[in-house]
Amino acid sequence: MSDNKTHADHGAHSAEHFREKHLMLDPLPRGQMNDMVMESMLEKPTWKFWIIFAFLSVVVAYFLFYKWGVLIAKGQGEAGVMRPDYWGIFLVNTVFWIGISHAGTFISAILRVFKAEFRRPFTRAAELMTTFGLVQAGFSIFMHLGRVWLFYWLMPYPNQRMLWPNLHSPLTWDLLAITTYLLSSTMYLFLPLIPDMAMARDRSTGWRKNFYRILALGFRGTEGEWTHLRNAMNIFAFAIIPVMFSVHTIVSWDFAAATRPGWSSTIFGPYFIVGALHSGMGAAAIVLAVIQGTMKHMKYFVRGEHFDAIGKLMLIISMAWAYFFFNDYMVQWYGGDKWTQQMLHFHEAGPLGWMWFAMLICNIAIPWAILWNARWRATPWLIATVGIAINIGMWFERYIIIPISVTINRMPFTWRLYQPGIEVPMGIGTVALFILLYMAASKLIPLIPVWEVQEGQMAHELKKFGRETVVSVSELE
Amino acid sequence: MTESKVVDLLAVFPDLEPAANAIEHLRALGVHDECMNVISGIPVTEAMLGRPHQWTNVPRIAMGGALLGFGGGFFLAFISPYLYPYPVQVSTQAFIPGPPTVVVLFELTMLGMLISTFVGVFLDSFFPNYRPMKYVPEISDGKIAILVECPNADERKLRMP
Repeated sequence: MSDNKTHADHGAHSAEHFREKHLMLDPLPRGQMNDMVMESMLEKPTWKFWIIFAFLSVVVAYFLFYKWGVLIAKGQGEAGVMRPDYWGIFLVNTVFWIGISHAGTFISAILRVFKAEFRRPFTRAAELMTTFGLVQAGFSIFMHLGRVWLFYWLMPYPNQRMLWPNLHSPLTWDLLAITTYLLSSTMYLFLPLIPDMAMARDRSTGWRKNFYRILALGFRGTEGEWTHLRNAMNIFAFAIIPVMFSVHTIVSWDFAAATRPGWSSTIFGPYFIVGALHSGMGAAAIVLAVIQGTMKHMKYFVRGEHFDAIGKLMLIISMAWAYFFFNDYMVQWYGGDKWTQQMLHFHEAGPLGWMWFAMLICNIAIPWAILWNARWRATPWLIATVGIAINIGMWFERYIIIPISVTINRMPFTWRLYQPGIEVPMGIGTVALFILLYMAASKLIPLIPVWEVQEGQMAHELKKFGRETVVSVSELE
Repeated sequence: MTESKVVDLLAVFPDLEPAANAIEHLRALGVHDECMNVISGIPVTEAMLGRPHQWTNVPRIAMGGALLGFGGGFFLAFISPYLYPYPVQVSTQAFIPGPPTVVVLFELTMLGMLISTFVGVFLDSFFPNYRPMKYVPEISDGKIAILVECPNADERKLRMP
C-alpha cells in the first residue's frame, strides 16, 4: 500500500516536473493564452521603453539617414573606400544582415519540416528577424551603390540604349536572390500571422480593431481557409529552404567568382551558409532572451527548454563553422600560392591580427566552453551573451574576408590598410533601426503564434511505460 | 408553389468531441456535408471531425506560378541576350552560358511559385473579404462552431439539442 502511494506521489511529482519544464505539456485555456499575448502587446510601455525608443530614433535619424544624406551630397569619398579596398563596411554589413536573416527561415521552415516541436512559440520572433534583417541588408547595399537613386538600373528591363542587365554577373544574381528571399520571407511571415490577426481583431477596440481587421483579411477559421493556409505554409516551408541556401551561396559567389587570393574558393557557398546560420542563431538567442526578460507573460511561453534547444543548435553550428573555416584555411595554406600565403600571414600577424584571433575566440572557444552544459544553455542571460559573442565574431569574419583580404592582392604597390569613415556611424544606424523596428513590432504584432502553440499542446501528452513517464507527441496533420 | 427557405444556424461547441457528435447528428437528420461548415481557432483536420476531404487549389496555383516564373527566367536567360543591339560577350563564356542560366531560372521559378502560393490563399479563401459573415469571437478562444446553411430544412429539428 505504501509502495503504491510512493509510486503515485512519484508519478504526480514527475507530471508536475514535466509541466514546469515543457510548454507543450502545460496547456492553458486558449482564451487565457490569447489574453496573455494581447496583454504583453497592449501593456503600456514603461518610461525605460520610451527612453530607449527615443534614443534609437535619434541614432537612426542622425547616424543612418542624416549621414546617408551627407554621403549622397558629398560622394563616396566620405567613406573609407579607396584602391584597393573598394569593398568596405557597407558590404560587410550587407553580408552580416543577410546572415542574421537566415535564422528566421532556419527556425521556422526547417524545424517545421522536421516537426521539431520546441520551435512553436518562437517561430514568429525569428521570422521577424528575417524580414527586418533583410531590410538592413537592403539599406547597406544601397549605401554601397553610392548613386542610390539609380538602383533601378539593376532591374531586368532594357534601358534607353536597349541594353539589358548582364545576367552573367553575380551582382545581378544578388538582386534576383535577395528580392526573392525578401518577398518570400515577408509572405511566409504574414501567412501564419493571419489567424493571430483575427484573434487580435476579436479582442481589440478603436484603431487597433480596424488595423487588425484589415490585416486579418476577413479570416474566420473555416475548414477551407485552414486547408488553404496549411497547404500554402507547407509549400512555403519546403520551397523557402533552397531559396535561403541560394541567397547566401550567391552572396558568397560575389567573392568566390573572382580569382583573388583568399576569395577564389569552392567551399565559400556552404561556408557562408553555415556562417549565416551561426550569426542568425546567436541573434535569435539574444532576441528570445530580451523578449522573455522584458515582455509580460513571456516566461510562460519561452522557457529554459527553448534556450536549451537553441543552445544545442548553436553548438552544432559552431562546430560546423569551425570545420568549414579550417577546411577553407587548410586548402589555401597548403596551396602555397605566394600571394595567398602573404594574405594569410596578414590576417594573423598584420595590424588587425587581433581581429582574426578574436573571431576564433568568439565563434569557437566561447560557444564550446559554455554550450556543452545543459544548465548553462537554459540560462537566458548566458546564452544571450554567447549570442552577442558569436555575432561580434561573425562580423569580424566578414570584415576579414572583405576589406582585410582585399588589401592583399597581386600588386603590392597598391596595398593599403582600409580605414573606414562614414560607414561606421551608418552601420550603427542599421543596428539601431533593426532594434527600433523590433520594438515597434512587439507593440503591434502578436509575437507568439498562439494557434500554433495550442495545436502543439493538443498533440502532446504524458504516457507511462512501466514506471517511467515519458512525453508522447501525436501527429495531428 | 412552395417558398424556398434557407436555414442559417451557427452552433458553438467547447471542444472537438461534442462538435464531431453534432456533425453526426446533423447528418442523421439529413443535412448534407455540403450544407455544413466548421469554424475553429486552430486547424482541425477533416478526419478529426469525420468531414469530407477539403479541396484546395493552392498547389495547382503554385505550380502555375512556378511555370510562369520559369517562363520569365527563360526569357531573361535565353531571349534577352538576343535583344541587344549588339552581342555582349562575357570573357570566354558561351553567349548563353549554362551555370548562370541555372541561377536565373531557379530564382525566378521559386519567386513565381511562392508569390502564386501566397496569391492562391487569397483566391481560394476569397481574401480580403470584409463583408459581415456568420462568426462569433469565441472561436478564436478555442471554441468550435458548426455553421449550417441549408435550404428547405426544418429549423426546429436542427435546433433540437
